[in-house]
Amino acid sequence: MLAAGIGLRAQHHAEILAGRPSVGWFEAHCENYFGAGGAHRAQLTRIRSRYPLSLHGVGLSIGSTDPLNTGHLQQLKRLVREFEPVLVSEHLSWSSFDGRYLNDLLPLPYTEEALRHTAARIGDVQDALGRQILIENISSYLKFECTEVAEWEFLTALVRESGCGILLDINNLYVNSMNHGFDACSYLDGISPAAVQEFHLAGHTLTRCGGCDIRIDTHSTYVATEVWELYGAALQRFGPRPTLIEWDADIPALSVLQAEAAKADAMLETFCAIAA
Amino acid sequence: MLSLPELQARFAATLFGDTAEPSGPWIRSTGIAPELRLGIYRNNLQEGFVKTLALEFPVVQRLVGEEYFRQLALRFLTRHPSRSGDLHHIGAPFASFLRVEFAGTTYQYFADVAALEWAWQECLVAEDDEALDANALQAVPPHRYASLRFALRKAARLLASPFPVTRIWELNQSAVTTQETIDLASGPEFVLVHRGVGGARIRRLSAGGFALLSALASAAPLAAALDAAVLCEPHFDLTVSLQRSFELGLFARMSFSSDRS
Repeated sequence: MLAAGIGLRAQHHAEILAGRPSVGWFEAHCENYFGAGGAHRAQLTRIRSRYPLSLHGVGLSIGSTDPLNTGHLQQLKRLVREFEPVLVSEHLSWSSFDGRYLNDLLPLPYTEEALRHTAARIGDVQDALGRQILIENISSYLKFECTEVAEWEFLTALVRESGCGILLDINNLYVNSMNHGFDACSYLDGISPAAVQEFHLAGHTLTRCGGCDIRIDTHSTYVATEVWELYGAALQRFGPRPTLIEWDADIPALSVLQAEAAKADAMLETFCAIAA
Repeated sequence: MLSLPELQARFAATLFGDTAEPSGPWIRSTGIAPELRLGIYRNNLQEGFVKTLALEFPVVQRLVGEEYFRQLALRFLTRHPSRSGDLHHIGAPFASFLRVEFAGTTYQYFADVAALEWAWQECLVAEDDEALDANALQAVPPHRYASLRFALRKAARLLASPFPVTRIWELNQSAVTTQETIDLASGPEFVLVHRGVGGARIRRLSAGGFALLSALASAAPLAAALDAAVLCEPHFDLTVSLQRSFELGLFARMSFSSDRS
């Protein structure tokens, strides 16, 4: 699976099954296939029989202080058992409090308390699934006063404490480095290459808020030039890893996603050649 | 310093609009003000919710218009926030919300249209169970027909409405541009929503056919279900109705009532 993959969207199911396009692998959002049956699930079964698959969760609310949602975890477990994904991932975030869900990826404060809590929860999820999961760095639009360490330090400690791997989202890293004013390359240097098992690439938008520029992680457009550059730096630091093109809003034709994936493939090949 | 539960409680309360409390010194105020930063998340919450609800209830949205649907969805979010990490579930209480919201008005039918759309959504993702073959009946001795019970397939829903809901649904599909007006008094309608080989379908049933399937769905034996059907449709034809149900693949299992009196 050392090639570029594409985020799987239902709009493309029929085209993928009819044309068998050349795509390295697909990544599906787990919650889109939680339904017990029906056409989408059946199509995923057929796609899985032809392509490697990764499962990417957006709703487990791992960082929440609510009890872990065991119903959600059971659904995830059922999908993992049925589809035998190569990789399973979730986010370094929370999305619920006191039973109410915001269904968004909300940032955690990087404190000792949050580290202990999140590491234990990741441990619980890995125990339930019987496998390692990858944790993805999210885009964020604020920082908490109580945060004690940099995100890369928090992620590194999380890997050490829970045994999870890292899904490094290059776009989120770029967005945060611009929004919060830090050096993205220092972040890369702080992460251990052994922990990184997947990259994400996506598009973001630049907007104005309170008289300042802010970058919003919209997954609605092409990967930005600066993000491609940072991806190059990440390949240099970590070596080639499975890389996903994500595009989840204003979803274009599959061919547009294939063209983005081809760009990632070309960069991956360069680094594979160097690694060899 | 805020503990993690305190921080999450405050964040969630601010986004859901429970509290007018100023966001205070728990968020760093460099560049963009904390209220504006939280506003980005509040916008994500609201827009994600409205967009998902609109995808689940396109006919209700078309009936009320995009802007009013948005206002309705935001009121609904306050009353019925998501209770799941899977946002698809938010639509479950929408019909009952609309029933209360429009009680006693000429828009009472919105709730029944929403119930129809939710039944459709449920049928799309219901479990893929096997249809019972009509040949199964051949093995049943006639004296046991009365005590037969039929379990409906998972992807089958029954709805009754005093309004012509299927007509409203048909004329408000995105591709339909007709100016035809619908007489709200042209109901009632008895409706089956189910998923067959070709996908989800909405079908009108006769009053008797609806009564029969509703009784069977609540585990009544065939004799009692037939009584219920004949009560609202004196010339109800059981053979035709059962045959049609088998053709549509509505039944999953057959069993016998333990009470054969």
